[in-house]
Amino acid sequence: MKRIIPVLILALLGCACSQESAPLVASDVVVSKPMPGTSMAAGYLTLSNNASQPIIITHVASPQFESVEMHESVIEDGMARMYPLGELMVLAKSSVVFQPGGKHLMLLRPVGEFDTVSLDFYAGKAVVLTVNVVLSD
Amino acid sequence: MGPRKLFIAAVAVTAIAFGTWLSFKLASPPPVPQVATVFPVAGEVPEFSLLDHNGDPVGRDVFQGHWNLVFFGFTNCPDICPLTLQVLSSAKNELAADGFTPLPRIVLVSVDPERDTPENLAQYVAYFGDDNVGITGDLTELLKLTKGLGIYFEKTAGDAENYSVAHSAVVLVINPDGQLKALFGTPHEAGNFVHDLPIIMSQQ
Repeated sequence: MKRIIPVLILALLGCACSQESAPLVASDVVVSKPMPGTSMAAGYLTLSNNASQPIIITHVASPQFESVEMHESVIEDGMARMYPLGELMVLAKSSVVFQPGGKHLMLLRPVGEFDTVSLDFYAGKAVVLTVNVVLSD
Repeated sequence: MGPRKLFIAAVAVTAIAFGTWLSFKLASPPPVPQVATVFPVAGEVPEFSLLDHNGDPVGRDVFQGHWNLVFFGFTNCPDICPLTLQVLSSAKNELAADGFTPLPRIVLVSVDPERDTPENLAQYVAYFGDDNVGITGDLTELLKLTKGLGIYFEKTAGDAENYSVAHSAVVLVINPDGQLKALFGTPHEAGNFVHDLPIIMSQQ
């Protein structure tokens, strides 16, 4: 028991500090409910890299959707276009903003009923950030 | 002062007041749209045969009898299309709050007729307001409408089920005679519609 208590304290401290010390942090996360008549939703957030090295997000996944894609909307010569973002680099000590009319997450084909969405951001095979967010109207 | 002099004085004051009002009226230019392009001669909408969101056949006369805000998009568009429709819906709500009538209708013409059925269009357009209209149908018929209005769209990279559609982002204003009256270019902001639409709609 004497051995377990320090481990538990360290674990609790680790949990408390993990968000601040995490290299990649998400803020202003919004995922809309799937639009009526469609099977997809949009997600917006700000990714901030606190580390001194760039982080490359290779893909995003969610247990609540069959597929999550990173896209960027642009208006070029009066045409609305949507480009897939193969990979996304968040430079050291920098942020990338996903916002309406720009970069966004496209969440495709919801799986079942749910109120909260979990998003896993991957760098290769490693999950570098998990975000849980309640669906918004 | 006798009644005659009093009458002359009243006429003089009225004349001065009217003259002052008239000079101000003539001096201030009529309001002009700040963003929209208004066509001096309204353009004809080409003939087409498509389906509305109820599954009923519609042609160019679908636009008649209403002012129409027409946007070309698709329901599998996660960002620009709902954003634009939300802007139009907000503008309508602001105009309604100002007591403006008649309110224009929002019309979404699908540029993804392979995936957009009347059924899912009905659910989608209703999300942005009560009297909105969705139009979809045969690609050949759709092209008659879009080409005639200068609207362009194309499927972009993807597979048979998961693809995107690039499309013109303008909002067209079609008047109750079913003629193209004006055009709003991007970026779309509700305030621009609230300012310009009453001016455009007064010019019929």
